[in-house]
Amino acid sequence: MPAIAAMLERPQRWDAAFSPEMDDAAVEALMATAPFRDMDAGKFPKRTPLRDILRNDTRIVNFRKGEIVVRQGDYGTSAFLILRGAARVVLRPDLPPSVLGRQARGKKNIFRALAQLWNGRRPPESFRCADLMPDSRIGARLEQERVRVFLQDVPRVLDQHRTEEMTAGDFFGEIAALSRMPRTSTVFADSEETALLEIRWQGLRDLMKFDDALKAHITRIYRERALASYLNATPIFRRLDKVQLGRVAEAVEFATFGDYDWSGDYKRLAQAGTVRPEREPVIVTEGDYPNGVVLLRAGFGRVSQKAGGGERTLNYIGAGQSFGLREIAHNWRKGANPVNFQYSLRAIGYAHVLVVPVPVMEEIVLPSVPASELPALIETADEGGPSAAPAQRAPREAVGAELLEFLTENRFFNGTATMMIDLDRCTRCDDCVRACASTHDNNPRFLRHGPVGGRVMVANACMHCADPVCMIGCPTGAIHRESFGGQVVINPATCIGCRTCFNNCPYDAIRMVEVRDETGEFMVDEEMKPILKATKCDLCVENAGGPACQRACPHGALTRINLNRLDALAGWLQK
Amino acid sequence: MRRFRRQHLLGTTALIVAAIAALLLHRAFHRTLPDYAFVTGWILFAAMLVLAVYNARKKLPFLPLGNSESWLQIHIYLGFFTVLLFFIHLNFRLPRGWLDISLASLFALVAASGVAGLFLSRILPRRLSTRGGEVIHEQIAPLRHVLKTESEMIALGPAASSPAVAEFYTRRLAPFFAGPKNAWAHLFESRRPVHSLLAELEDLRRTGSEAERGALEKLADLVRRKDGLDYHRALQLTLKLWLFIHVPLTYALLIFTLAHIAIVFAFSGGAQ
Repeated sequence: MPAIAAMLERPQRWDAAFSPEMDDAAVEALMATAPFRDMDAGKFPKRTPLRDILRNDTRIVNFRKGEIVVRQGDYGTSAFLILRGAARVVLRPDLPPSVLGRQARGKKNIFRALAQLWNGRRPPESFRCADLMPDSRIGARLEQERVRVFLQDVPRVLDQHRTEEMTAGDFFGEIAALSRMPRTSTVFADSEETALLEIRWQGLRDLMKFDDALKAHITRIYRERALASYLNATPIFRRLDKVQLGRVAEAVEFATFGDYDWSGDYKRLAQAGTVRPEREPVIVTEGDYPNGVVLLRAGFGRVSQKAGGGERTLNYIGAGQSFGLREIAHNWRKGANPVNFQYSLRAIGYAHVLVVPVPVMEEIVLPSVPASELPALIETADEGGPSAAPAQRAPREAVGAELLEFLTENRFFNGTATMMIDLDRCTRCDDCVRACASTHDNNPRFLRHGPVGGRVMVANACMHCADPVCMIGCPTGAIHRESFGGQVVINPATCIGCRTCFNNCPYDAIRMVEVRDETGEFMVDEEMKPILKATKCDLCVENAGGPACQRACPHGALTRINLNRLDALAGWLQK
Repeated sequence: MRRFRRQHLLGTTALIVAAIAALLLHRAFHRTLPDYAFVTGWILFAAMLVLAVYNARKKLPFLPLGNSESWLQIHIYLGFFTVLLFFIHLNFRLPRGWLDISLASLFALVAASGVAGLFLSRILPRRLSTRGGEVIHEQIAPLRHVLKTESEMIALGPAASSPAVAEFYTRRLAPFFAGPKNAWAHLFESRRPVHSLLAELEDLRRTGSEAERGALEKLADLVRRKDGLDYHRALQLTLKLWLFIHVPLTYALLIFTLAHIAIVFAFSGGAQ
């Protein structure tokens, strides 16, 4: 009888290694380098051994002096470890937007607005050559098939900005990678041969999980740099003094659920029609004993309740919202009659959460909150109360179950300026499309078409997402936020037409266009290939008065709405 | 109170108050005020200009001129008020002379097309969202072509083997798929034409072979989809076409009005 070969299921996330160049020799070299040489490989489980993490979740990238590694405001899912050479972090003042590949925009004054009367006759997507020239203080070169943007005059930057040198063994970018928050600083290479180990977030998460020293290091940085300011801005903690806040920060635990690569995964699942709540990673399970308040720092969570054999969505929550406060506040006041979690919370795509443990809540936080501001007590079933609390039922009732499921299944809650059209009022006059075209080089930046849920259509327009996956991986920084949390815009001068944002956008809201010169002729490069630029809705960021599409709708059928929270949508639907 | 209802109540109240005030002023001054026709004429002309300028606002979406929704509300309520102003200007008499009759007729047509447009834009969108899916008007013709090709393949293509289906297709379905059909029926929400066609298909299906039944079921599905496209075309075209009446008539009305003003000044030394 032939022996059956042992079959091992390859871990799914390593089906595609971060870099094919990470061979045995490279891994062994890393194993001899700090901090990996000090890690206890025996602490790593068999399914995720240290060597395999290094092989599959890291890659070595080389930079030359002046080349920008990360930009302030960019989103990224990797952290960096300096292997050789040095890098510099720009502290203050920040580098000007144009040096980071961005466009300094302002509202058009009345003369520029009026000039659109005759500019509107130009060919679609036409530019003057001067409009497409990036800032002279930066240059770009192609290396290892990757575009590298570099600072032309490093000494000048050092002279005009306070910077700090980082050398071999230093980590940077770990907080942005773990929490999916924008990078807080710009880092550039400061030696001719700077070798960085780029660790994607999954690898960093596992390294942290199984190496106490790295976990302690990152936790300390997280608490110092990110947590204090976040807690300070969270309403429930606003009455705490500095010492109390410090104690809360010390006790808070943080975790990431799901997968940052949710957009690609979502596209695949949506096409296969297999997006189901049951498949989403559970953060909190209905019926469990509440052990802490969950604060959602980034990403989204689905609040659901068991119904029949499945789950029904009651609400979704986004960054800045909390879960479980009601149960914990109830148990604190009615210790004799405690309740468990009333609902489940699942990560939709991914969610980065902070958990404030119950003892800290009961000892420090809840006593500081006036009784009038505490959530209402939960009427338990034996008291004849409803099974779902009014606060959680309200969105479902106001928006309607069908629309809520539609928004959740299609991940539309990600939009902070989603274009929604009330089909019961829309006369299909296309005034919105014409207004958009008049405002944007005769080329409308959206399609008045898209998925329909109930009487509402979500048009194919950039939603200016809370989690802008389109911004990940732009090699030149051309796609960026206009301000912190503001509109996502593209600078045509630094867009190189690489399609990264176009491919990343889960909602297909970005278009690649062939640009023309002022005479209407298509611009071409040295190889006579057309120059491509990514375009999308910029929410009329330069126009006084707001988005032209919304202002152009005669029947109030079109709105740009923040779907991170359902209150605005409920108000609009009931107007 | 919900916004649209509040807006409607506010507009209607303002219109009623303005109408009562205008009628009271008319009663008080139409015999006593010198140049009364001159005053009411200029007020009417000003109101007409404000109404007409809404179209210009639509052409300048990049200027901060307020939102189109507010403009339309003003356009609607001022439009109704302008009808009253028009009668006041006529002193509630019928016009005389070919120019004045033409002018009054044009005014009536512009007002009537405006009211019709208001009615259509409130009724048809709701109907559009109930049937035929959501389709962009410009996409209707290409989609119809796809359905036509699909139906031809089923009935007449190489895989088709039924003379009865081919005959029925050529006689009844080919004209149906050839272009937009039953526009008036769709406009008046009558489904009789498509039901009749589907009934004929069903008759044929009942007596057909297994293969014929399969082909006829697919054809029936295509007929329903084509009917949905026709429904959307009829309603969307109506929603667009009324503006092609309202706007050119408005320009004609403004030209006639200017001629009327010129003639009044030329022959009367100002309205006396």
